[in-house]
Amino acid sequence: MGEIISYSLSDFILFTDKVYYRQFELYNHAIWPLHLISIVFSLVIIYALWKKPAWAGRLIAVLLTVSWVWVAWAFLFERFYQIHVVANWYALGFVLQAGLITWYGVIKNQFALFVQSQPRINIGLVLLFISLIIYPFIAFITGRSWLQFEMFALTPDPTVLATLAILTLCKVSSVLYVIPIIWLLISGMTLIVM
Amino acid sequence: MKDQHNGDRRRFLQVMALGITGGINGLISPKFTYAGTGKLITKSIPSSNEQIPVIGLGSSRTFNVGDDPIGLDNVTEVMRSFFNAGGKLIDSSPMYGSSQPAIGYGLNKLAKTKDIFSADKVWTWESDNGPAQMEQSRQYWQVDAFDLMQVHNLVSWEEHLKTLYSMKQQGKIRYVGITTSHGRRHDELEEIMKTQPLDFVQFSYNILDREAEERLLPLAKQRGIAVIINRPFQRGDLIDELVGIPLPTWAKTIDCNTWPQFLLKFIVSHPSVTCTIPATTQVEHVKENMVACFGPLPSHAMRKRMIDYVEKFI
Repeated sequence: MGEIISYSLSDFILFTDKVYYRQFELYNHAIWPLHLISIVFSLVIIYALWKKPAWAGRLIAVLLTVSWVWVAWAFLFERFYQIHVVANWYALGFVLQAGLITWYGVIKNQFALFVQSQPRINIGLVLLFISLIIYPFIAFITGRSWLQFEMFALTPDPTVLATLAILTLCKVSSVLYVIPIIWLLISGMTLIVM
Repeated sequence: MKDQHNGDRRRFLQVMALGITGGINGLISPKFTYAGTGKLITKSIPSSNEQIPVIGLGSSRTFNVGDDPIGLDNVTEVMRSFFNAGGKLIDSSPMYGSSQPAIGYGLNKLAKTKDIFSADKVWTWESDNGPAQMEQSRQYWQVDAFDLMQVHNLVSWEEHLKTLYSMKQQGKIRYVGITTSHGRRHDELEEIMKTQPLDFVQFSYNILDREAEERLLPLAKQRGIAVIINRPFQRGDLIDELVGIPLPTWAKTIDCNTWPQFLLKFIVSHPSVTCTIPATTQVEHVKENMVACFGPLPSHAMRKRMIDYVEKFI
C-alpha cells in the first residue's frame, strides 16, 4: 500500500469536467420524476424548522437519512462510480453518515434541540437557502445546460450543504459534521482539479 | 488553409522526389491516409522486431465517459480517425474508470477488435486479484487477448510480473511491460529494467521533462526494451502554455504545422522511444497528432534547437 502515497488527488480525477457534469444530466433524465420528491422533502424540512412541531426533529432526521442513502446508492455508486474509481468509497461514507443521522437524529432525537444563537441561525438559514433554492439553478447560472441541475436529496453537494445547514440550526453531536466537511473538501478539490 | 495547401504541395513534391532519387517504394505504393502522405513512421519492438507506428492513442481521462451514448459515440469517432490515419496501439488501464468499456464499444462498432495493438494494465494491490482483473479488462475491450499487459505504476510489481511472464508463456499475452508516470519512482523503475526481462516500459517524457534522457532511455536501448511515452503534453498544460507563441518557421522542415506535432516529433525522434500515446476527446486533435507519424523526424541537432526554442518561452 506504500505506493498509494505517491498518488495525488489529480491522479484519481480521471474524467473531464464535461463528462462530470454530463453525469447529472443523464442522472436527472434517468430518475425523473423523483425531483418532485426532492421538492416535497425540502418543503417539509422548511415547515418543520419554521413551526418546530414536536415531531420536527425525528422527521427531519428521517428525511436526511433517506436522502444520504439514496445519494449513496443512486448517484455515487450507480452513476459516479462508472467514471470515478473511488466513488464506491464515497458511497460508503454517505451510508455511514446516514447511520450517524439515524442514531443521533432518529433514536436520540437531537435534531429537536434548536439553537438560540442568532448568528448561528443566520448562517444555517443562508446555507439552507443556498442548498434548497439556489443550488438547482447553478448549472444554468454558470452557463451549463440547465438539465445538469443538482437538487437536495438527489445529488451530493446540495444534500451535504442542506445537512450542514440543519446541523448548524440544531444542537447535535459534532461527530455529525465530520463526513459532510470531508465531502465538501473532496468535492471542492475535485471541482478545482478537474 | 494556406498552410494546409502548402503542406499538401510539399508532401506531393516529397513523394515525387522520392521517386526521382530512387525511393521507388514511395512512388510505387505511397500510403495515403487521413493524416498524411508517405510512409507511416514505425519503430520496432526490440524483443520481436514487430513494427508499430510511433503515435499511439492514450485513454486516460478522455475515454472515461461512463454509459453516456453521446460520449461513447465520440470515443468511437476518435478511434475511427486514429485507425484511418494508420494508428494501431491503444493504451488503457482499469484505473481509467469506464475507458476500457468505451474502447470495447468503439472497437466493436468499428469491427477493429482483431486489428489493433491492445495495451492495457493490471492495477491492483492484491496480486491474487490480478488475473481476474485482466480477464475483466479483456472482456471490456472485447478482444481475444491483449498484445501488451503492463504493471500499472509499479503497483505490486514483483507479484504481477510473475503472473505476466506466466501468461506470456501460455500465449495469453504477447508482451510484458511496466509503467510509471509524472517522473515518479524512476530509481525503482531503473532497477526493475536492469533485472527483469521486460518487453516494454512506459513513463513520462516531453520536451520540458527530460529526466528520462539521463538513465531510463539509454538503459532501455541497452536492455532492448521498447519505450512508450505517456503525458507527451503534460496533460494539455504544455499546449496551453504554448498558445500564442509562434511555431518556428524551421518546424516546417520536419513537417510540423502545429505545436502538438512539434512536441510529438520531438518525443518520437529520440532513438530509444518506440511510441507515444497522446490522449484526446477530439477528432480534429487525433488527426492533427497523427500527422506526426509522417514526414522527416528531427535530427539530434534539430532536437537541441527545438528544446532551446521552447525553453526561451517557458
